[in-house]
Amino acid sequence: MNEERYILFDQYLQGELTVDEKHNLEKQLSEDTELASEFESFKEMHFQLENKFGQEQDREIFKENLTRISDKYFHKKQNKVVSLKPWYFAAAASVIIMFGLFFFDYKHYPNFEDYNHPESAYFTERGVSEAILKQAENNFNGRRYETAIPIFEMILKENNSEEIKYFYAVSLLQVGKYVKAENIFKELEAGNSVYKEKAKWNLALSKLKQGKYDDCKAILQTISQDYEDYDEVEQLLEELD
Amino acid sequence: MDQNKIHPDQKYIDGLAANDSVIIEMIYKKFAPKVVQFITNNSGDKDQAQDVVQEILILLFNQAKAGKLQLTCPFDAYFFLLCKRRWLNELKKSANKEVTIYENVVSINESAHELVAQAEEFDEKQKLFETMFQKLGEKCQEVLKLSFSLKSMEEVAEKLNVTYGYVRKKKSLCVGQLTQWIQEAKNFNSLKNN
Repeated sequence: MNEERYILFDQYLQGELTVDEKHNLEKQLSEDTELASEFESFKEMHFQLENKFGQEQDREIFKENLTRISDKYFHKKQNKVVSLKPWYFAAAASVIIMFGLFFFDYKHYPNFEDYNHPESAYFTERGVSEAILKQAENNFNGRRYETAIPIFEMILKENNSEEIKYFYAVSLLQVGKYVKAENIFKELEAGNSVYKEKAKWNLALSKLKQGKYDDCKAILQTISQDYEDYDEVEQLLEELD
Repeated sequence: MDQNKIHPDQKYIDGLAANDSVIIEMIYKKFAPKVVQFITNNSGDKDQAQDVVQEILILLFNQAKAGKLQLTCPFDAYFFLLCKRRWLNELKKSANKEVTIYENVVSINESAHELVAQAEEFDEKQKLFETMFQKLGEKCQEVLKLSFSLKSMEEVAEKLNVTYGYVRKKKSLCVGQLTQWIQEAKNFNSLKNN
């Protein structure tokens, strides 16, 4: 192994060579293709090492989270459920039915609150101070929408991103500012971001909250079956019928 | 980098890099079914599909974290093609059996192919590096691990209770050893391909 060579490469990458030494090495690199190829590999190893050890913790956390979501998606949890004998099922079912009959209030229309569960925000926008984003995120996730709204308005002046617009509109919907909220949802619906279908769903929720059931139904029918919470859409449609 | 060409689906890549559960769940819900269908139609089962999807998402995470992934095509096309190729490789590895591919998904984006080639190259390089790293002696592995996770080489020296000069030299030589092996592997590959 050519030890001197690797020590020189390392010093070069650390910026420790004098101007003359640096020019000298660069000249050699431009003339000697084998040396240049070796230097490229040396840099590549640096990159791989930085990637391996610099991100190690993040990578472990990611893998754990990924496995959890993946198992949930592929219904792996079912294995852990203790299996019940059919007899117990029958008994449990009859108890549930009795309770159901007892508490069933024959109210005709579905309730906004049953379908209202805004997702949590995790903002990673660029060009806006992190502290402000964190504030918005915390207030939103803590359901302090009145506080979150002016912060969102401030952020939107700097960064008019679809993500911020979406969470701003959800906050507006929560505090009952329907017109403003619906305008933003309509704008997102017309766009092509990942919030397109979500915007439709929220628009429908807004109508539901206002008791405009026919409007709600009409909007629900435009939601794509690919929407990630389509089961909720179907459930609400059924209730509306 | 050309910002104009980046597809809006870059959102999914950024979400993976940020370990954003909402985005990851969305990826499963929206894009996994097509992969599962393809694999189960082609001699695989659901468990194998789950593994392929997970492996590819880890690959995308690594690539995104290295700042080397700018999506210029829809995520759907890119992700499906990666999973499909990964599965075909699996089949080839385990195959004495004839492989017949049934698929009804066509229309693969042109730039998706290019990105897939990049991702596979990235993956190969990382795996080759990992093999070489495991070949290093214990001392080298330790010095490199500390050198690339601690802030300064002074800290590394202190932690290992040796001089600064020693760790600097050791680090250079250990990276040098890796470099040499990689060079040899490259030369071997170019011989093989000729």
